[in-house]
Amino acid sequence: MPYSILIVDDSLPMRSVIKRTFKAAGYGNSDFQEAANGKEALELMKNGWIDIVMTDYNMPVMNGLELIQTLKKDDILKDIPVVVVSTEGHEAKIKEFMDSGAAGYITKPFTPETIRDLIHTILGETSYDEDLDDSNDDFDF
Amino acid sequence: MMKTLMTAMMTSTSEVMETMFYLPVEFQNEPAVLNGLDNFTPHTACELKFSGDVSGRVTLVIPKDLLSEMTENFMGESRDNLKEEHLFGTLTETLNMICGNALSRVDSKIPFELDIPDMIDALKLPGTRLFSLIKTTQSMMAMTISLD
Repeated sequence: MPYSILIVDDSLPMRSVIKRTFKAAGYGNSDFQEAANGKEALELMKNGWIDIVMTDYNMPVMNGLELIQTLKKDDILKDIPVVVVSTEGHEAKIKEFMDSGAAGYITKPFTPETIRDLIHTILGETSYDEDLDDSNDDFDF
Repeated sequence: MMKTLMTAMMTSTSEVMETMFYLPVEFQNEPAVLNGLDNFTPHTACELKFSGDVSGRVTLVIPKDLLSEMTENFMGESRDNLKEEHLFGTLTETLNMICGNALSRVDSKIPFELDIPDMIDALKLPGTRLFSLIKTTQSMMAMTISLD
């Protein structure tokens, strides 16, 4: 099943890597949207359906924690799962995100297996697209 | 504390370089100044401030050829399609991943906070500053930590 996935990161290369990793994990037929900060993400989410949000923490304008806190106050958007993709792996930091309502937390660097397990846990389905074998040819994680 | 930080940085540099860029690395035994090292020209540099139980900054210097190779591997784009923003974005993200990963390995009472990485002019780095040299398959990069 294809998903609508919103990737929020101020780093263009990082957005590209997350998208590639999703494809390698078997979600290549999903629809990917990108935002450079939390504010841009909110605008996209108000204009179309999103199944899951993958957000960085450290971003200008609106960071990942502020994005989650804003979403949780929105009656329409509050149930969309948000996964934090961050370099910061301190337990207290992870707890702060999870307590704020994050659905998951991935620390960089990460692998396609990490993404696959997480999506399976959150969306309750393993989704291998038809191009999985071809996609994996490009990866050597 | 400096030794603990440097050990964590070395471990994380290896993990990030191998997982995200497919480049094995090897730390050289002796630190060195960058002036006079031919394979560091031209180079790009990036700095990231951190704060917590201790505060300071980490500086990473990478030759442009190596950065291009890393960006190709990172983004899956051919070198011809890469723009400066892709190279700089890869460098800042690399430093961000290394520092975040490393500082999470260090025991601390409060979580470390990371600033947003800044590109800096490599030519303005003090010529006397000592760097740890990190050898990759075909090139070398350098890292240093300064505590406040």
